[in-house]
Order: sequence, then structure tokens, then C-alpha cells
Amino acid sequence: MKKYFYTDGQSQFGPFTFEELEKENLTGNTMVWYNGLSDWTQAKDIPELESLFRIPPIPPGPGRPIPTQPPKTWLVESILVTLFCCLPFGIAGIVNASKVESAYRAGDLEGALQASEKAKSWVMTSFWIGIVIGFIYVLIGISGGL
Amino acid sequence: MVYKLYNQKSVAIFFMLSIGAIYFLYNPADSELFPKCPFLLITGYQCPGCGSQRALHNLLNLNIRDAFLNNALMVISIPYILTHYIFEINTFKVRMMKWRNIFFGNKAIYIVFILTILFAIIRNLLWN
Repeated sequence: MKKYFYTDGQSQFGPFTFEELEKENLTGNTMVWYNGLSDWTQAKDIPELESLFRIPPIPPGPGRPIPTQPPKTWLVESILVTLFCCLPFGIAGIVNASKVESAYRAGDLEGALQASEKAKSWVMTSFWIGIVIGFIYVLIGISGGL
Repeated sequence: MVYKLYNQKSVAIFFMLSIGAIYFLYNPADSELFPKCPFLLITGYQCPGCGSQRALHNLLNLNIRDAFLNNALMVISIPYILTHYIFEINTFKVRMMKWRNIFFGNKAIYIVFILTILFAIIRNLLWN
């Protein structure tokens, strides 16, 4: 069976079978080699690896550049919000973080970016609600203490 | 010519340092000034965040044990949250992606979600 190797420019990874390679999140620019190739080759130039790149092709004309990194999931910020402020908003943030990841994994970048925006708005909303509630609370506390 | 007297980052840092100082110096358990959890006030049940202010106070004063009793979820979240910033600072690398997917991928998100809910259930069972 054919074994593949790939490199990030510093280290070499592998050997992988094709099935294992599918889980490695290669991009078209990742250098890949297998026994039979004379040199490292960009993955996009190897026809049999085409199915590995789930990122849709860049549309012609000016468009949003396709990020190589998944969009921000706001997971950690959602956890912080859950811990320090507003439970329902934090949980909504975590659920949206999961939506960002699933959409990105499925190759739906547009959906992932949308979910990321939504997660962000949950986090920001609860952040400001937390600040306002805290502020009101301190005001009440101070006025009550006087 | 208008000079900008501050930028967002320095305001955020100043804000966090002030908050940190307040929580270091004052124990929320002893003061009426600290906000109470609205969820607890309304439902009578502790949410996953209840006790995090006291936990923060105890952590800043290095009372790890008390912090853990105040809010265990918060204490165990801290290394996780710090790890996240390593991935945030680093630019995209294939090797980093692999670890990112392990720690912050979909499975990790489900685990976080389930842990948060479980923590809320268990703490209320123990507490009542």
C-alpha cells in the first residue's frame, strides 16, 4: 500500500495511508512525498490527493480571502462568560463554537464564519450585560451602605 | 492635531489589573458590594459560574484548595484557557493544527459542554 509523507518545512510527518492522510488537514500547498516521486511535491499537484482539500476553490474576482486557519470559535471566551457572568449566554456561546467547528470541518466556510460571528455576539452581549449588572450592583451596594 | 491618549489594549490591561487588585485585596464572601449571581437569586440553584469570584480571590492569594471548593470548574479551566492563547498567538502551522484539533476541536467542545452541565448538576446535588 502506498505510504505518504508530508512536511511543514521543518519536520516530516508520516508514513500515512491515504485514509490517515485525510485526517491530517493538509492544504494544497503542503509538500507531500511518496515512494515514486522524485521530490517533495505540492499536494495540489498530486491528482489523487484532490479529494483531501475540502476548502472550496477561491471564487473569481475580489472576494473574501479563504483563511487557512479555522475561524475563531470563541470557545474559551464562552467558558469565561459562563464562569464569570451569564450562564445562558455562555452556554449559547459554547453551542455556537461547536457550530463553527462542524461547519469548518464540513468545508462550509461561509457557515463557519457566520457561526463565528454569532458566537462572538453572544460573548460580547453577555460581557457587556455582566459589566452593566456588576456596575448596577456596586452602585446599589454603595448607596445601601451609606 | 489630536493625540490619542489611550488605546484599547492599554485600557483593557489597566481594567484587568484593577479588577485583579480588587479581587486580590477583598474577599467577595465578606462584602456586600460584589455582584451576586442572578441565576442563584432567581432559581435558588448554583450555576456553573457561582463561586468564581471567591475562587478568584483565593487563587490570587494562592489558596488553591479553597478556590477549588469555591468553584472547581474555574480552577481546572485556567490551564485550558492559557493553552488556548498559545494557539491564538501562533500563526497557522500544520503541526499546530493537529494539536488544536485535539484540544479545541469539536470533540473538545462537546466535552467542555458536557463537563459544564455535569458540574452544575453535581454541585447542586452535593450542595443541597
